[in-house]
Amino acid sequence: MSAFVSAPIRRVTTRGNLQLSAVSKRFSKRGALILDEVTLNCKPGEFVVVVGPTGSGKSTVLNIAAGMLKADQGEVTLDGEPVSAPGPDRAVVFQEHGLFPWLNAEQNVGFGLKMRGVSKSERNDRVQEALQMVHLAHSAKKLIHEMSGGMRQRVAIARALILNPAVLLMDEPFAALDAQTRTLMHEQLQEIWQETGKTILFITHSVGEAVRLADRVIVMHAHPGRVRKEIPIELPHPRNFDSRDINDIVRHVRTEIEDEVNRVNKHLAEDFWKPEKRTDLGSADRNLGSGI
Amino acid sequence: MLIGIWEAAFRFYGWKAYLFPAPSHILQSFLEMLNLEMLNLDAHPRGSFIQSPLLLGLQVSLWRLVAGFWLSLLIGAPLGLLLWRSKLVDDVFGPFLLGLQTLPSVCWAPLAVLSLGLDYRAVLFVTVMGSAFAIALSLRDGMRTVPPIYQRAGKMLGAHGWKFYAYILMPASLPAFVSSLRQGFSFAWRSLMGGELVLPTPAPMGLGLLLEHGRNLADVARVVAVMIVMIVLGMLVDRLLLAQVEKWIHTRFGLTQAH
Repeated sequence: MSAFVSAPIRRVTTRGNLQLSAVSKRFSKRGALILDEVTLNCKPGEFVVVVGPTGSGKSTVLNIAAGMLKADQGEVTLDGEPVSAPGPDRAVVFQEHGLFPWLNAEQNVGFGLKMRGVSKSERNDRVQEALQMVHLAHSAKKLIHEMSGGMRQRVAIARALILNPAVLLMDEPFAALDAQTRTLMHEQLQEIWQETGKTILFITHSVGEAVRLADRVIVMHAHPGRVRKEIPIELPHPRNFDSRDINDIVRHVRTEIEDEVNRVNKHLAEDFWKPEKRTDLGSADRNLGSGI
Repeated sequence: MLIGIWEAAFRFYGWKAYLFPAPSHILQSFLEMLNLEMLNLDAHPRGSFIQSPLLLGLQVSLWRLVAGFWLSLLIGAPLGLLLWRSKLVDDVFGPFLLGLQTLPSVCWAPLAVLSLGLDYRAVLFVTVMGSAFAIALSLRDGMRTVPPIYQRAGKMLGAHGWKFYAYILMPASLPAFVSSLRQGFSFAWRSLMGGELVLPTPAPMGLGLLLEHGRNLADVARVVAVMIVMIVLGMLVDRLLLAQVEKWIHTRFGLTQAH
């Protein structure tokens, strides 16, 4: 077994330089441009959050980084190596968790190691370690449908971390959770990130979430998706989520987004309904019902 | 309760026993069939069931059912997977299979007799034709309900090649597969009984032919008795076996609970 596979989860800051250079994407040949020359550089160990309105292609950015979608133009590299297919060096945490219902929590977490042929005893140790990291050591035998939404996402995070990926890709992982659970998850994720030093690319539509977690917030522009602004969040970790600094920054970023949302809404409204000068209503030959 | 009213009504109104039997007649006929040397079975080696047309029929029909069901599965399951995997195959054969599925399976009987001759092979053919396409189509539809996120998650976790099939696709499609098995079984059972009923294959006779034999003898009690045996057998296999397996899998997958 290679050193890569048997390495424990630990702080690694030399790996995890994820780079998207001028990535463009259309879903069909003549379809709308989803991403227009998006350039994004995640430094090793950096927590980057992409935030943007619907239609800004933020999930597409993540899917391209994960290798689930191919970019039409541009290049994606991880530590200099081009990315072409999904792989365990870029572990993904999905919005709908994507855990396997036929396995229990423990088996879900150990799945990636099993696929690589890691021995059962070593697997057990590392599964325990990963579950402890997300505070779920007591729920190892639970089935997926027996767990709450927050627990499921924690299992999903453990399942991703155990692969010791260079980058953790998170696609609106907490969107379906209630506010209280979400805050708890933010605290835990921050803790895990500090402990492991992973590069994290996190997608969300919530500005509050973005500012709480990020080293750097990327604000996306919609139709087509472009990077509109990059806002570094220069607050030390771990953060107190109720602090005034955070709230000030949230307000600032929110105005950025608001402009964008308003622009998108206007654009959509124009798409849906364009007032036209109608002439046919008034013409006598079209007005079949009158005069009866 | 129902049986009591039935029996009482029979005695009270005194309707003709050769038009519709009373429960007591049915029971009597049932016992007769269980243990009576009324059929010419001398041509066959004397086994334990030889004295009992009902048990012999059960044995014959069950054997055919198992064989026919396995054959259907062997044909239907790969076909269903192929239909699911390949859009081209589905576009070309999907409507055709749906057409075949719409055809009542007994309608295969004349073709079976002409092509295969009047023996157990014709009956098996009818059974397989009746259930293989049902299995294929319901497996295809079931596979389509497997959330694509499992496949994405599997690829991300490094399940490639055969491992992807063995550890992701197969378990993910289990609920769909069991449902299609259940569907296939019910079609196989109906087709088999239909096939046996219309195909007077040489002895040993199955339950379907036993039913037809009852009609030839104008023995209503016997006809109804065999029908009841068919109902009970079909229900036993479905309720006690397949439905239980399905329920277990659905519980495991959390499909019985609202999310």
